[in-house]
Amino acid sequence: MTSKTDDRTATPMEGIDDRYQSLLRRVHVDRTTGRMLLLTVLTFGLFAALNPRVFLNPLNLQNIAVAAPEIGVLAIAMMLAMLTGGIDLSLVAIANLSAITISMTYTAVAKDDPGLAESLMPLLALEGVLVGVAAGAVNGLLVSRVGITPILATLGTMQVFNGIAVAWTGGSTLYGLPQSLADLGMSTVGGVPVLFLVFLLVAVATGLFVARTPAGLRAQLQGANPVAAKFSGIESSSVLMRTYTVAGALGGLAGVLFIARNPTASADYGASYVLLVIVIAVLGGTNPAGGFATVAGVVLATLTLQVLASGFTAMRLSAYEYAIAQGVILIVVMVTDQVRWRRRRGPRRSAPSDAAVPPNSHQTLNSGRQS
Amino acid sequence: MSTATTTRNAEAASDLLRRLRGPNNEGILALILIGLVVVTSIANPTFFSVPTMFAVLRNSIVPLIFALGVLIVIISGGIDVSFPAIAVFAAYSTVRAAGDIVDPGLVGAFAFALALGALLGLLNGVVIARFRLPTLIVTLGSQGIFVGVLLTYVGSRYVAELPGSLAALSKTNLLEVSSDGRNAFLHVMIVPAVLMCLFVSWLLRRTMFGRGVYAIGGDVEAARRAGFPVVRIQLFIYVLVGMMAATAGVIYMIMGRSASPRDMAGSELDIIAAVVLGGASIFGGRGSVLGTVLGVLVIQVIGSSLILAGVPSAWQRAAVGGLLLVGVGVQAVAARRSARHRRVVRTEEAVA
Repeated sequence: MTSKTDDRTATPMEGIDDRYQSLLRRVHVDRTTGRMLLLTVLTFGLFAALNPRVFLNPLNLQNIAVAAPEIGVLAIAMMLAMLTGGIDLSLVAIANLSAITISMTYTAVAKDDPGLAESLMPLLALEGVLVGVAAGAVNGLLVSRVGITPILATLGTMQVFNGIAVAWTGGSTLYGLPQSLADLGMSTVGGVPVLFLVFLLVAVATGLFVARTPAGLRAQLQGANPVAAKFSGIESSSVLMRTYTVAGALGGLAGVLFIARNPTASADYGASYVLLVIVIAVLGGTNPAGGFATVAGVVLATLTLQVLASGFTAMRLSAYEYAIAQGVILIVVMVTDQVRWRRRRGPRRSAPSDAAVPPNSHQTLNSGRQS
Repeated sequence: MSTATTTRNAEAASDLLRRLRGPNNEGILALILIGLVVVTSIANPTFFSVPTMFAVLRNSIVPLIFALGVLIVIISGGIDVSFPAIAVFAAYSTVRAAGDIVDPGLVGAFAFALALGALLGLLNGVVIARFRLPTLIVTLGSQGIFVGVLLTYVGSRYVAELPGSLAALSKTNLLEVSSDGRNAFLHVMIVPAVLMCLFVSWLLRRTMFGRGVYAIGGDVEAARRAGFPVVRIQLFIYVLVGMMAATAGVIYMIMGRSASPRDMAGSELDIIAAVVLGGASIFGGRGSVLGTVLGVLVIQVIGSSLILAGVPSAWQRAAVGGLLLVGVGVQAVAARRSARHRRVVRTEEAVA
């Protein structure tokens, strides 16, 4: 083991190349994606069989496709943070802040000139994303430069962003937004809602970013083994900075989706999303300890949970029962991953070694704990 | 010779300073607390009075008991966000059972709540300790399950009247002081809170279990190799935290004179912030009861002084968040500096 480490430090380029190859392989042929696909089809089939009249109604299917994007985009952002071994609890607060900023700006401009405010729609959407970038940069600074653990940093910023949102709105729900944005939220292209297309676009872009760009690779290495990443010449602070900024941008985009779909903005919208988004990311094959994630898995997990939610509604089960289901799924998925990994390693019980962090093992007791 | 005396004096002074500062910066926190009280009192003289002090203490009772439980978890290197869910589950179920079935009396009610809390904590503990999963994510999941089960199967009704045995305690005060024509009351529930502080302090400092908690927080693998029964200790930690949360939940409902299954949601962050402010390291292995008490008091004093200053309650949330960031930020920067210092020393040794 020692000699191996020495080899790697001696020729860092070769080490990177090896890891790159193996990571690429993992990204492309991942068993979790296959399992996830099966689970999506099974969930869909189950509810289709249980209550076909309500569940297979085109309107219901369209509802699923309209509700999924905002959660899916947040889950992809969460996946990015988890990829580097962190977590971002402030995403929902960022999204709400973005939606509120859009609504506030629109109302302020529309007071003097409604026509101008209406025509500003693309700029307003951009503004929402920029709010997310700024908020994400704050997270990134706290995590990478100040060195606060991601859990605590984003816990704190979640409170701060949420506090700002509540104080700004006075706790009320805002209704002002460009009509064209609300129309966009309801329009479809060939039967597929535009919001869903935005979601797919984000998914493909993030997938390419993670799997095909040097920056994405660095983020994966940072999460898989921060020490090795450091000795491979990866500047961890800039990787983290970039990751949290991108996650924040996606959070801001989710805010645009919030307001386009609802079409309202409020400080306490989507309070249950924090848990849901983590459930989706973990179910989609993201290792909360860092290093492994697949966008395809996250997209499928988003669809599965959305199908589950709408199936629960079709079966007349309550939101609380859905919360139970989320919690159970989260824990069962993590436990089965863990058990499977232990079995694969054989009965020999040994200390978790850094040299071979398995996909989805959650070996470390506490994720994001590397200081 | 005179220089030697000066150095000795300086050493003694710095030693005294270090001791006053405390192992987890408790001294600094105490200074901040005193400074806060002084500043608020100057800005608003009504703040500096017995009724305000009692009110702050009264508001600290429930957060303090929660914080003690969270302290144990954080020292062991975990994070628990399910304790408000456990608290409301245990307390609301107890109130409902006592109201609908039979009033078991005060002791019976607490015993029932404690049993429920222990059971829910055990569930957390089994998943975390047996399968070695990340604590934050497990407790996020279990929190959803607990609240969901409570609202679906136990009930979602607001109970305006507590069963007799609990209601009797609602208006019992330990101390009554009249000052300036105003009456100040210190609620009797301060007694269990203080007792629990002493108990946890004893547990952490004087028992093998306490040593184990610190050891696990410092390094799980090292603790295992040193012979600590890691799984058993972790199980016990979560059972204990469940029971403490249940106690806090019942006390909360006694003091609030009502029970709602939606109580206490979202309070977990304030509590974690208080514990981290109190000097407990989020990486585990460090933390003290004294620091936690001070952390809780600082947050309560800030809350009540913001109210007195007329700041909208919405900003309190942001203030607590900002405070948490400052607290952990200082910790992180200090840790980094000491790491760099150590590295420099080591390189110097290597050069020599």
